Amino acid sequence: MSDVNRSLHTLWTIFKHEFSLYWISPIAYLVGAAWLFLSGFFFSRSIGAFNQGGFGFGGLEPSMSYTLSPMAFLLMFLAPALTMRLVSDEIRSGTHELLLTAPVRDWEVIVGKWLAVWGVFSVFILITLLYPLVLVWRGSPNGAQIFTGYFGYWLWAGTILAIGVLASAVTQYQLIAFMIGEGVALFLFLADTAGSLVNNTLISTVLTQLTVTQHYQNSMLDRGLVSAVDLAYFIGLSAIALFLATQTLNMRRWRA
Amino acid sequence: MIQVEGLTKYYGNYKAIDSLSFHADAGEIVGFLGPNGAGKTTTMRILTGYMPPSDGRATIAGYDVYENSLEVRKRIGYLPETVPLYKEMSVWHYVDYMAGLHGMRGNEREDRVDEVLDKVGMLDRANSMIDSLSKGMRQRVGLAQALVHRPSVLILDEPTIGLDPRQVREVRELIREVGEERTVLLSTHILSEVSQLCSRILVINKGLIVAEDDPDTLSARLSGSTRFYVRAGNVEPDALAEAVRGVKNVVEAHASERGVEVTSAPDTDVRPQVAAAIVKNKWDLLELKPMGMSMEDIFLQLTTEQDGEMVMEEEEAL
Ligand SMILES: Nc1ncnc2c1ncn2[C@@H]1O[C@H](COP(=O)(O)OP(=O)(O)O)[C@@H](O)[C@H]1O
Ligand SMILES: [Mg+2]
Repeated sequence: MSDVNRSLHTLWTIFKHEFSLYWISPIAYLVGAAWLFLSGFFFSRSIGAFNQGGFGFGGLEPSMSYTLSPMAFLLMFLAPALTMRLVSDEIRSGTHELLLTAPVRDWEVIVGKWLAVWGVFSVFILITLLYPLVLVWRGSPNGAQIFTGYFGYWLWAGTILAIGVLASAVTQYQLIAFMIGEGVALFLFLADTAGSLVNNTLISTVLTQLTVTQHYQNSMLDRGLVSAVDLAYFIGLSAIALFLATQTLNMRRWRA
Repeated sequence: MIQVEGLTKYYGNYKAIDSLSFHADAGEIVGFLGPNGAGKTTTMRILTGYMPPSDGRATIAGYDVYENSLEVRKRIGYLPETVPLYKEMSVWHYVDYMAGLHGMRGNEREDRVDEVLDKVGMLDRANSMIDSLSKGMRQRVGLAQALVHRPSVLILDEPTIGLDPRQVREVRELIREVGEERTVLLSTHILSEVSQLCSRILVINKGLIVAEDDPDTLSARLSGSTRFYVRAGNVEPDALAEAVRGVKNVVEAHASERGVEVTSAPDTDVRPQVAAAIVKNKWDLLELKPMGMSMEDIFLQLTTEQDGEMVMEEEEAL
């Protein structure tokens, strides 16, 4: 078995295990319910607003922005709730001893777990594809924009979940893991505001570029754009978080 | 198969194991015997690649446990002290997951999971949730997990701890059976456990290996003989040893750097007679000192079995 082959097999094994564990835990259903309730609330409100302008979507342009934009913010509460137990539970129950002594690499454990929780969230997102169907049925929305809006949302979810995995590797306390995930996500929303307060162009540019709004709402969601910078933002942040989570797991061996 | 040289582990400033050296040959069942806190778990965790040593090295099947951890981990089955189980999974899926982590796939993997569950006598409970199993059953599922990928080395950390006497016998029988074709390193603080299962016993205390013997010799040493050093002035150590050997009930006496090492017959204390012999020879008795680590002291901390059946439940108290 080649190395790549073996890694893929390991990732798939861990993915399958973690993914199925989620569906027997209450937290997935709680988060799923919250996700559907909140997104349904924002979507129906936006439909109401569209209808204000007359029959169909006469007034406003039919769009998913009114739903996905607030949901992008609320993700900072939903995602860490899903990830907070992901690594810490294993440490508490001792099962990490099996993972760390099985012939798998630390990064495979982290990435496998991340893919699983991202997979769970992808199921939630997939269900809400019903909303754009409603838009298509009642009006003529911009298909490309809906696609990039969802695609960007999916990437953003992957990013916050990666940060959540890192938080769960750092601390055994679920509440602290939850708050770290939430805090980092909040920072990614407010960084440009912080940047505008700084009198240094370099720092404020960096802070602005770190802001998710720049890469999601102002770009993929509202303008239907997918730029290399936006992709690099989500992929880069996820990769950094997963790398740090792997290092954290590895450091546990030394501190054990 | 297992080769350990100068293995040392610090937790912060605390030295949990101190330059351990030992080996286990292919096909051997080696017992790692020592009271709680001796460093058994620490040693095993280093061997399994769970954590790196502070110093020294260990190889398994020729691979360094730290440098080549992945190769080592492919070849070992490990049962940690507190059997790590996913309580919300079924027995079958748990063992299947562990087989997957070891790179097994497809039909071969499914058949092997059935086979190994059958071997540990858990096939009829394959669909049970782990949560609902008794302690003895969980231990057997833990063993199944350690065996599923056909490892050539098994590392079992206190595999019979907390089991009732009948379960202890079952698990022990199982270990004997699976140990026929592989190398087993087994830790315990129950003396009779190692004497029944192991071909060789390493006694570890406070991070040091204090004895390495086959079970029979170890029992003899345990039967109450005293061991001490004696030093005297104006006499050569060899002459002193010669004289001490003449004392009744002295089994062995030989000169060493620290004086003459004396071992008495079981259940005797020959120190007064040795002292008297020295005085009689008009030598100056300088020192008469128990050997650094008295085996009895260590074994007082180990639990024993009575009548070969009952396990004393002092385990919890220790
Ligand atoms: N993670 C740890 N951090 C600090 N000290 C530890 C840790 N694990 C074990 N120790 C200490 O190291 C010593 C050896 O422990 P251990 O290897 O578990 O012994 P045993 O398995 O023989 O009971 C004990 O004194 C224990 O308190
Ligand atoms: Mg132990």
